[in-house]
Amino acid sequence: MATITSLPTIAQMAGASRIVRGPAITNPTGDPSLDEEEEVALRTKIVERALEMVETDVEPATVWEVSA
Amino acid sequence: MSPAAVRVVHYMNQFFAGLGAEEAAGHEPVRLEGPQGPGRGLTPLGLPVDVTLACGDDYFAEHEDPALATLLAWLEEEAPDVLVCGPAFNSGRYGYACGMLAREASRRGIPVVTAMFPENPGVIAAEGGAYVVPTTANVAGMKDALPVLAAIGVALAEGRDPGSPEEAGYLPRGIRRNEVVDRSGADRALDLVLAKLRGEAFETEVAPAFEVVPPASPVPDVSEALVALVSEAGCVPQGNPDHLVSRRAHAWLAYPIDGVASMSADAYETVHGGFDTTAGNADPNRLVPLDAVRRLETQGRIGRLHPTFYTTTGVDTPVASATRFGQEIAAELVNAGVQAVVLTGT
Repeated sequence: MATITSLPTIAQMAGASRIVRGPAITNPTGDPSLDEEEEVALRTKIVERALEMVETDVEPATVWEVSA
Repeated sequence: MSPAAVRVVHYMNQFFAGLGAEEAAGHEPVRLEGPQGPGRGLTPLGLPVDVTLACGDDYFAEHEDPALATLLAWLEEEAPDVLVCGPAFNSGRYGYACGMLAREASRRGIPVVTAMFPENPGVIAAEGGAYVVPTTANVAGMKDALPVLAAIGVALAEGRDPGSPEEAGYLPRGIRRNEVVDRSGADRALDLVLAKLRGEAFETEVAPAFEVVPPASPVPDVSEALVALVSEAGCVPQGNPDHLVSRRAHAWLAYPIDGVASMSADAYETVHGGFDTTAGNADPNRLVPLDAVRRLETQGRIGRLHPTFYTTTGVDTPVASATRFGQEIAAELVNAGVQAVVLTGT
């Protein structure tokens, strides 16, 4: 499992191992300031990072940024 | 002998009880009169042991239920005012036995103090039921551990509070207690920030406890996997047909998304009471990334999306409830053959 959240510290406290930092509390998988096409592209990238993380061996409480 | 008012039982493994080393690790539980091994060091520290219980490390590990049943039956007969376990240092089997016995004894109302290396699995096994004195990894730390162990043991046996983890020298048990102080939270917070700005030492009042969970093994190839979406963002079908609450959720919900391409605002909304839901309600894909996952499914980046998504509201939720939600949802996912989960948290 990978968790997408803008509050990685909270996810770490709850014991999450694979954490991708999302843009904001109100929109972990989006960004209202982007136009629709850009936003879907960003969201796809965030989910791809989460999937990539699921495929990777990690230490406990690892946090990845969307842009590596 | 101890003073009549206080009865002390000490648990240790076969080695420290003098029954033998590794060749005696299969030893069944035994009950011995008076202090044995390290227990003799407790007498001059004011904690004379009345009865020693000992068990082989392998016996406990391989016959946990009968071993615990025997030891707990003896504890019930002895009715000690305090149970001392260990020290177990970094011996995993011994520490685990101490931790399990400590947990079970404390559940039966017997105060327990034990001692071991902080990373010994026995610390987690004790589940906060025992006062755990941190020790070195090896037996060299015995002479430092015993006085701390004894002081806490005496306090517990006399029905006194041993004090805070810092004062008494035990590992924090994850328990928060209210106390009355003279100065308001605002004053104390200002003190902390000023101390931090001055570069002085300061101590955060509420230190977060980090739970360490071993990471699951990676999924070798997500393009072959069944992937599920789970969220605590409070996303539900429009109209909230099952009345998901906006905070302090007591349940999680599951909704079908088979054939659904996107979390459209016409069909979904969020009822989460912990953040401004304007952006999420304008496009719920910002909370549950269904449109992106469908795109990746079409591209073959994931094998298939699980036809159900799981949702709850994660705000003010007691940890015990959240833990239960996680276990229940995980059980459903495992049953359905789901191999990977993307969880969104707000």
